[in-house]
Amino acid sequence: MKGNKSSWGILGKLLISLSFLLVAMPLLWVSIASFKKGTDLNNPTQITFVPTLENWKEVFSSGIFQSAGRSAFVGVVAVSISIVLGSMGAYSISRYKTGKSLTRFGILAAQVLPPAVLVFPFLDLAYRLRLSDTLVAVIAAHLSFVLPVVTWFLIGFFDAAPKEVEEQALVDGLGRFAAFRKVVLPQVAPGVGAAAIFGFVLSWNDLFYALILAPGNAATLPVRIAGFNTFRGVELGAMCAAIIVSVVPVLITSFFIQRRLVRGISGGAVKF
Amino acid sequence: MRRTNVRRSLLAAGVVLIMGLVTACGGSSSSTTATVQISAETAGTLRVLMEGVPDTDIVKALLADFNKDYPNIDVQIEPIAYDQIRDKLVASFQASKPTYDLAIIDNPWVGDFAKAGFLKPLDDLINSTDGYDYNDFSAPLRAIGEVDGSIYGVPFYNYGLGLIYRTDLLQAAGIAEPTTLDELAAAAKKLTTGSRAGIAMQPQRGYKAFEEWGNYLFAAGGSVYGSDGKVNLDTPEAKKALETYIAMYKSSAPKNSLNWAFDEALRAVSSDKAAMMVSYNWMLPTLNKADGPAGALAGKYKLATMPGGKQVLGSWDWAIPANSEVSDAAWAFISWLTSKAGETARVSAGGAPVRTSVLSDPAVSTTGGGADYYATVAKILGNAEPMCQGSNCDEMINAVGTELNSAIAGKKSVAAALKDATTAANKIQSQ
Amino acid sequence: MSFRIRMILPLLATLVAAVGYPLIYSFYLSLTSYKITKRWDVHFVGLNQYKDVLTNSDYWSAMKVTATFVVFGVFLELSLGLAIALALQRQKKFRDFTRSFLLSPMFITPIAVGLMFRFLLNQQLGAIPTILDKLGLSYDFFGSGKALFTMVMIDTWQWTPFMVLLILAGLESLSKQPFEAARVDGANPFYTFKRITLPMLTPILTVAILIRSLDALKVFEYVYATTRGGPGIETQTIQYFTYQTGIQYYRLGNASAMAYLLLILVMFLVIVLFKQIEKARRS
Repeated sequence: MKGNKSSWGILGKLLISLSFLLVAMPLLWVSIASFKKGTDLNNPTQITFVPTLENWKEVFSSGIFQSAGRSAFVGVVAVSISIVLGSMGAYSISRYKTGKSLTRFGILAAQVLPPAVLVFPFLDLAYRLRLSDTLVAVIAAHLSFVLPVVTWFLIGFFDAAPKEVEEQALVDGLGRFAAFRKVVLPQVAPGVGAAAIFGFVLSWNDLFYALILAPGNAATLPVRIAGFNTFRGVELGAMCAAIIVSVVPVLITSFFIQRRLVRGISGGAVKF
Repeated sequence: MRRTNVRRSLLAAGVVLIMGLVTACGGSSSSTTATVQISAETAGTLRVLMEGVPDTDIVKALLADFNKDYPNIDVQIEPIAYDQIRDKLVASFQASKPTYDLAIIDNPWVGDFAKAGFLKPLDDLINSTDGYDYNDFSAPLRAIGEVDGSIYGVPFYNYGLGLIYRTDLLQAAGIAEPTTLDELAAAAKKLTTGSRAGIAMQPQRGYKAFEEWGNYLFAAGGSVYGSDGKVNLDTPEAKKALETYIAMYKSSAPKNSLNWAFDEALRAVSSDKAAMMVSYNWMLPTLNKADGPAGALAGKYKLATMPGGKQVLGSWDWAIPANSEVSDAAWAFISWLTSKAGETARVSAGGAPVRTSVLSDPAVSTTGGGADYYATVAKILGNAEPMCQGSNCDEMINAVGTELNSAIAGKKSVAAALKDATTAANKIQSQ
Repeated sequence: MSFRIRMILPLLATLVAAVGYPLIYSFYLSLTSYKITKRWDVHFVGLNQYKDVLTNSDYWSAMKVTATFVVFGVFLELSLGLAIALALQRQKKFRDFTRSFLLSPMFITPIAVGLMFRFLLNQQLGAIPTILDKLGLSYDFFGSGKALFTMVMIDTWQWTPFMVLLILAGLESLSKQPFEAARVDGANPFYTFKRITLPMLTPILTVAILIRSLDALKVFEYVYATTRGGPGIETQTIQYFTYQTGIQYYRLGNASAMAYLLLILVMFLVIVLFKQIEKARRS
């Protein structure tokens, strides 16, 4: 039996190492390529070369940080609205069984909707309201999938949170909303955090809505990166630099949040 | 609107009077300043999207000269990838405040944009610009910008295709420049070695496949449209063209190149991995440039017309969006750049020509791409046709190109693909 | 108005605006001949668009492509995710570092991932074909019959971490007691896994599969970055096809009908799935 355990252990370690390699390899290759000159790029596996900062200069001056800023802005606004509205609504659904399974199911249904169904009305409405190619249109569109996801997560968290604490608060004389705000919310804080992160990532990554609703001056980061598919083949260097620019902050953030995310999710989100 | 028109005509009249007086007083006007009717005081900011191609760089370099004539017009060029241009333009056309005040339009889009009311008709502007000589533009190029009897775009640069090949390799193999489709196939096969493909092809599904294959179709003596004005690819010529194309893809194209487009083909040819390619005629000067992408191979390339003499034509036109708020400034720029003088400057710097007078101008042929190159381009423009005419061109080209790619990939028989392409194309264009 | 209604009202109002309105409007669009380039010439055509879509072989093709993609992708992600999560749970050293690194792909914007693989697997510029070439192998990643599988691989690369995350969270929330009991009883790892871990993980796995499948249905970025639906229409997923029809070909009315039909199908599947889960839970 002991033999079994250590052989599984070795297998496990092997698996982790392999996964590590598979994740690292593309990222490493792209990092290296971002420092290569045009002609060097024609030799994909060449590791020794004279590095150049041309690609990075090009990317930095391409407005990619503005796009990243716009993406962040859209994400923060969409998530903030979602947390506020979602937590209130989720509380109502969880504690008071408002609408019972219809609301739970309805919220999920909203998440299910293919973006293709919603984007065209958004496009047309934006045109009518003279909001074409603005971030308002993108935020509204993002709400359509961030709000349901956040709410759905929060319902699970509220379900898992023990009722005694808030009942105690009510007995102590706190109003219901005050109880919600001061007692229940802090309880589910890790869950709220996880839901917020999840929602933000969903918004940050969206290309479809942003591409259609704001392809021009209000371009978000994914739209910007898609634009590096340029005419001249040698732009590969710049594209690699752009990819790294969008990946590095993610890696750093992921390091800090992964523990929180795991804890938050295991705190009861994954229930119906 | 009416006020501006009246003002402009008065201005025009005034300028004509003064010019008349000036020339009457002796001294011909210098050939380097364009004759335009728009006041040099015209002010405005022109934001324009342009693809990252050589001609864009040339235009950028000419801006300094432009600003000498029009110091108050600020032209802001936004370079961008082809794929994004159309969506951004359409978004701008529909916005209440346009993002772009000036636009370059690819020829498949002209019909749809004009009919959708996105563009301003340019007839009045052209007619009121003295010395513009609109008819100097090559005839097929003019036809592209004319929709339902009005002119919506003036040619910027052409991208007629041709055959680009390595002179040294053809010579070494003892092959003459191919003049028929079969000769092309034979040449490609002969030039294929272990490390180098005979011809780099671009069979990527959609636009690219059709753009390249269209030349083969013409070389086989076929055409896209029948005499009744409808698309008909279900012809023996088309069949031969597609069969030859597929045979060449299998025997003489680089390995695993089914998804190749312009990017990949250019890279193959410039790094000695392919001996020939069917591509845009203006790639030749770029390939032969000393410090260009071809490195040590610069100078070894030659441009020829497609075997058979007819090729696919494409072009970009300058147009003024209907919602542009600075049409005067826009036209000032367009007419300056596309005038005979502006065109001469642009072509001398290596741009792709659109005016017949410039093509035959001996002064130009000594700079730019060389006399040989211009002679060939003149031949190309003399017998070229766009893939699609009319409405819904984007969709039509894509549909045909998808069928072609299916046949090339072996998923459909040649006959079935051509038949389906014809049906789809007609359905799309009749909508 | 009661407390609970007041709490949920803002949420419902926003959802109605952000989701309900477009849903209804989309339905309206699907009944018209709406074209972006012919806005002034919109007329009601009843169910014509639906008829057109249902008889469009490309639409069904796209459905098939998407279904294949989802099934293979989710299956791979689930299997790999489970294995990796179990391995990670056992890991003692460098936990945080390994976990955050392995989870990172899911946080990269998908278009960047698509472009990264487009060039990594590019015949001329990519490291992998060059390495294969040196080994004497030749494989066209974006060739006929292979492109869709390459899409699945890209999806797996990016989203297996998501599965790992959910499963890991699930594993860590399981009570230790049954495992202790099994260990004391001398059960071997297989038995523990099959009889204890798996059943306890089922709710999590169900959620994971559900979320991931619904997400995979919407795949767009990988196709957009690499093959644009080719070769032929082998990688033309439903989302890409709808985008192409509505935005590239301007035919919004037709595209809306496509989207609506997809919605009906998905809702049907979800309802069936839910009923199954309810049934299973009750038993």
